[in-house]
This record gives sequence, structure tokens and C-alpha cells, in this order.
Amino acid sequence: MAKLNTIVAILIFAFSLGAYSQTTTWEVSADQAAKKNPLEILPKNLALGRNIFKRTCVACHGEKADGKGLIQSTSLIDEKFQKQTDGVVFYKISTGRDKMPPFGAMLKEDEIWSVINYLRVLADPSAIPPPKNVKLELTTGEEIKSITATVLSADSAKLPLSEVDVHFYVKREFGLMRIGEMSNYTGADGKVKVFFPEKIVGDSEGNVTLVVKIENNFLYNDNETTNVKKWGMPLLSHEGEFSRRALWGARDKSPVWLLLLANGIIAIVWAVIVYVIYNLFRIKKAGRIFFK
Amino acid sequence: MTDLYRKEIEIKKEQFQYLVSDLNSPLNRTGSSFKIWIGFLLLLIAMAGFMYVRQLQQGLGTTDMRDIASWGLYIADFVFLIAVSLVGSLITAILKLSNVKWATPLTRISEIIAVAALIAALLIIVVDMGRPDRLWHIFVHGRLQSPIVWDILVVNTYLVISILLLYIPLIPDLALLRKTMGHKPKWQQKMYKILSLGWQGTEEQFRIMNLSLTALMVIIIPVALSIHTVTSWLFASTLRPGWDSTIFGPYFVAGAFMVGAATVIVTMYVIMTNYNFKAYITDEHFDLMGKLLVLTSLVYLYFNLNEFMVPAYKMKSGESAHILGLLVGEYSVLFWSVQILGMILPILLLIIKPFRKPKPLMIISVVVVIGAFLKRFLIVTPTLLHPFLPVQNYPESYHHYNPTFSEIMITVGSFAGIMLIISLFIKLFPIIPVYETAHEKGFPNEIINNS
Ligand code: HEC
Repeated sequence: MAKLNTIVAILIFAFSLGAYSQTTTWEVSADQAAKKNPLEILPKNLALGRNIFKRTCVACHGEKADGKGLIQSTSLIDEKFQKQTDGVVFYKISTGRDKMPPFGAMLKEDEIWSVINYLRVLADPSAIPPPKNVKLELTTGEEIKSITATVLSADSAKLPLSEVDVHFYVKREFGLMRIGEMSNYTGADGKVKVFFPEKIVGDSEGNVTLVVKIENNFLYNDNETTNVKKWGMPLLSHEGEFSRRALWGARDKSPVWLLLLANGIIAIVWAVIVYVIYNLFRIKKAGRIFFK
Repeated sequence: MTDLYRKEIEIKKEQFQYLVSDLNSPLNRTGSSFKIWIGFLLLLIAMAGFMYVRQLQQGLGTTDMRDIASWGLYIADFVFLIAVSLVGSLITAILKLSNVKWATPLTRISEIIAVAALIAALLIIVVDMGRPDRLWHIFVHGRLQSPIVWDILVVNTYLVISILLLYIPLIPDLALLRKTMGHKPKWQQKMYKILSLGWQGTEEQFRIMNLSLTALMVIIIPVALSIHTVTSWLFASTLRPGWDSTIFGPYFVAGAFMVGAATVIVTMYVIMTNYNFKAYITDEHFDLMGKLLVLTSLVYLYFNLNEFMVPAYKMKSGESAHILGLLVGEYSVLFWSVQILGMILPILLLIIKPFRKPKPLMIISVVVVIGAFLKRFLIVTPTLLHPFLPVQNYPESYHHYNPTFSEIMITVGSFAGIMLIISLFIKLFPIIPVYETAHEKGFPNEIINNS
């Protein structure tokens, strides 16, 4: 028994040693580690970094980058990780190891750097100033249908704010449909304009709801403005089409010929079956008569 | 003179008794090998059951069915089982109505195969459902316009007719069992008593029985054709490469008769050798079944030619990926093995008489059955992997379908279930019709009734 215990103990020790060495040695050469991050920590870069992180890394590293995604990976916000230089992290993301995929082939260098910036900010939110409130206005151009968003500071000075990412949407039945680009940055006058696409279907009168949003921004709090315009194509009602009997109709709208045919066949076949089952009783009865 | 006559009757009576005990002998012989066999089947079924419970808990993710290939082994199994079940109508109704006498010893074998296969088919459809608890929706919300509703109606109708066709010719035999199986357990005797409906063999009873049988045999033919036609419409009525075909109905029916004939050959071989029924299931029977298999295979070959030659000649752009996949692509090895080993080679071999001897015929039939199963798989899955609309942004694995262990075990379980039903049936009822055999051997009804 004691022997067995020693063997087990040795085995456990051996395994944990193996696991330990696995988690520690990730060799990064000195010149790789010394590589400098060319990107500054700017809202624009951070937004890109966050988008990439949300799209590609969250599954394994978790929403908070704490290593608790669908699989157990490593925390990217704890102190041990954050102590590493940008160069080391860059190398690890590019080359990968085990379940960590090598992203060097999938992401551009700038994209990896911006993810690193985002990880830095995620671990230490004080790296960026607290977000500010803004005033968001929506104006529309009528000749060529266009939407202009104007971003102004929320204070009484109402200064135009440049380089703010604004998102444009049209409201649909089950959510928002994006129009314009993924990111639309305001110019020096605080304005950014997108064009309204053709052939968008609105309600029965052609009304569409335009939505302009500032969201997930590092410098400014979320903000949203809406406007209703009669820009869409009116929604045609197909009521008549659906209320008549047809193959695509609902349960109580099956075509008459189908009802007659199907039920006719069912009736004939089952009449025979019922007749045969009735005959079984007749057979039984005929046997009884014989006894008497 | 009267003495001679009486003597003759005595001899006939003895002969009849011998016939009855011979045909009922499987009921009295339950060796350990049978018990092992049943245990083995139960084990397979239990494993399938375990896998199914796992599937219920974890969802259809335990299968390899995904967004693109949303039908797989289960549906292939379903189509295969429906095909097999068609043989009941072929042997009992079509041959009988055309006055083919030799098929009599095979009628019950083919009917029990049909019933067992149908039960398994109905179960496997439930297994294929992600939410079997919503099965009742089809009855409450089903639309008569949907082929799925037709399929449910027609499969259940066919099952009822098949059970009746199995049961009614059994009634005279049950009456005999009532008399001869006095040593069996109480429940079994009681079952014989209830099921035999107080059969006395009166003329009136025979008249009603024959009337019922004729009615059933006439009605089962259109119903049988429609169960497989409607099953084929489940595919043909959707706009998919490979399924979008106008000959799918007859193509399926022809294939069904072929696999059905092969299944009966395999089963009758096993029964013949196991229970020493050489006197009833003769080489002649095998020879004739072999010819039937050639005939049905030739018809099927003809439909295959139409089904693949015509689209391959046209190579419509939407369908070409699918057809090339079968002929020269991902599924070509399977496709050509099935076509050559499972159809063309059997035809070529079986037109030579020595190959229609029991053993070679049985081996060929096993190959035909396996080929037929794989053929159903080839009908279901490759089509789904090549939809008309291009698929984008799916994981690579979604573009292939390889059945998981769980799916394979459940499918194997369905076959085990069929064999279990047939094996138990053989132990409870005579698998070769006693009354009909006696009748055809010329025993008068008085002897049959009064022995
Ligand atoms: C398929 C799962 C998976 C995905 C996706 C993934 N990772 Fe990882 N990552 C891991 C695992 C597992 C490790 C631990 C590897 C090891 O230590 O062997 C790891 C380790 C790392 C490390 C090194 C951690 C350390 O302690 O030094 C970094 C940095 C990292 N990942 C960043 C990322 C980034 C950035 C992304 C997105 C672009 C990403 N990972 C996507 C699974 C993943």
C-alpha cells in the first residue's frame, strides 16, 4: 500500500512538474522583447483594438480578458502579464503556443499593437481620462438624402468635437441596420455625413427611423438621437395573398382540391381497414355459432 | 372400401400432425445460443438507448448534423427502413394476387420484416428530432399541404394494414397453437386463445377471412407504393440539386423492391439453416427469389441510369458540384462501390444459375442490403452539402458530414430492434404459415380443423 502511495505521489509530482514547465518557459529573444509599440494610446486605436479583441480573443480569454472564456486560458490583465513588455506580448500573440493560435498570419502588425494597447487600458482604466458627455445633433439633407451628425461639447460653449466615431443606423423590424461605415469620424467642424441608401422599405407610409449613436467610445459617454423621415419605400401589404387558399397558406387555408383528394384517399383506405377490423368480430361471432 | 378410406384419413392425419409439429418446432426449441443472441441484441439496444438519452440531454450536437447537413444517418436509416418494409406488399400482395403459389412460405417472413422495419422507421424519425417533446405539434398544427404530414399519415396507415396482413392469415395457425401448445406458460396460452378469435375453421369464417385478405391485398398495393413515393417527395418537393427530380417516386419504389427482396433472401436463409426448414424453403425458392432480385435490380438500374445520366449530361451549373462530387469527387468511391458492388455485379452474377443457390445468393443479398443502405446515405447527405445558394462564413467542419459514434450506435440499435422483433416472433408464432402450407399440400379442411 505504502509503495502504491509513493508511486502515485511521484507520478503526481512528475505531472505537475511537466505542467509547471509548460506554463513558464515561453522563450522570447531579447531583440523581440525590445520591440517598441509604434501606436500611441489613442481612442481611435483603442476602438480598433477592442473590436479585434471582441471578435477574435473573447472566446478563449473571456469578456474581461481574465482567462475565463469558453476554455481556460491565461489572464491578460493580471500583474504578472502586464509586467511583460509590449514586445514580448507582441511576439506571443504573433507566434502562439498550444491552443493559443498564431495571429501573426491573421492580423496586421498595427492591429496586434492596438490590441496590446487595449489590453493595457483594460487592466488599468486610469490610463485614459474619464469619458465626457457630448451633445449629438442630427440634421438631414433633403435633395440627396443624407444624414449629418454634429458632435458638440456638452457645456455651454458648444465647441465642435473632431475625431469622434459616430455610428448611423436605420431601425428595422428586429433591430438596427447599419448604414455608412463601421467608423465615421467627425471633421474639424464636428460634423460627419452619410448618405441614405436607396430602396430601403419603411412602414406602410414609407417612414423610416434614423438612429445616430456614439457608443463604446473611450472618451465620450454613449449618446443617441433619432429622427423619423419619409424616405423609405412604402411597405406593400400582402394580406390578400395570404388570406386565400393556396399551397403556401396556413393550416386552415389548404386548397380545396387538396382537401378533397387527401381526405378522399384517407377515407377510402380507412374504410377498408375499418371493414376488415369489423370482419374480425364477424369471424369471432361465426365461431360461437358453430359451438351451439 | 370404407376401411381403406378410414385408413387413408388416419395416414393423412398423422402426416398433418407431423407437419404441424415440424413447422412449430422453433417454438419448442430455445437453446442457449438463442438466449445469447437475444442478450446480444438487447445489449446493442441498451447502448443505443444510452446514446439517445445522452442526445436528449445534450441536444443534437452529439450528432455531426450541422446547419448545412441537417439530415444524416438517421434520415438515411429511415428511408432505408421504409424501403425494406415495402417487401411486405411485394411478396404478400403483388405475388399473391398474381397467383404466384411458390411464395406462400415467404409471406409471413416478409410481413414481419415489414412490420418490424416500420416500427423502427417511426422511432428513428423521433430520434432525428431535436425536440421530440414537440412531436404532437405535427398533429395539432400540421398543414395538409406539407409532404411531412402525408408521410406520417401514410406510414401509419401502412403499418396498420401490414399488422392486419400479418395477423389475419395467422388466425387459423393460432387456433392450432391453442390446441398444441398446452405446455407453454399461462400468458402465452391466453394470448393464443384471445388472438385466435375462437377460430373453428367453419366455411363462414373462411369466407370472411378470405374476403378480408383480398380487400387488404388490394388496398395495400397503392398504399405501399405511396409510402415510398411520399417519402421520396419529402426530398423531391424541395429545390435541391440531386433531389429536384421528377422520377424520384418510381426510383425509390424500384430501389425498395430490390432491397426488400434481398432482405427476405437473407432472412429466409437464416431461418432455413437455423430451424432446418429445407423441406419448406427449398433451393427452388432461393432460385426464384434470386430471379426476382435480378428483375427488381434491373428496374432499379434503369432508374439509376435516368437519375444520374441525364443531369450529368446537362451539367447545370447549380447541380454540377453535387454531381461531380458523386461521380468523381468526395463521394465517388462510395458512389461507384454502391453502384457496382451493390447493383451491377449482383445482376451479372445472379443471371448465372449456380449463383442462385442458397449460400452464394445469401452472400450477394447481404452485399445488396449494405449497398442499399449506403445508397440512401448518398441520396440524403451529399445533396445537403451542395445547396444552390452559396454558403459563407461557416466553420470548415460544417462542410462535411461524418456520422458520430453516437449516431452509428443508434442506427445499429435500430437494426438490432428489428432483429429482436423478428427473433421473438419466431419463438411465439410459426414463421412459415401452417394452415396455408397444409392447404396447398392438399390436406382437407376437416383434417386441419379436427386434429
Ligand atoms: C483558441 C483559444 C485562444 C484564442 C482565440 C486566443 N487565445 Fe491567447 N491564449 C490561449 C491560451 C490557451 C493561452 C496560454 C498558452 C500557453 O501558455 O501555452 C494563451 C496565451 C496568450 C498570451 C500569452 C499570455 C501570457 O501569460 O504570457 C497572450 C498575450 C494572448 N494569449 C493573447 C491573445 C490575443 C490578443 C488573442 C486575440 C487576438 C488571443 N490570445 C486569442 C488561447 C487563445
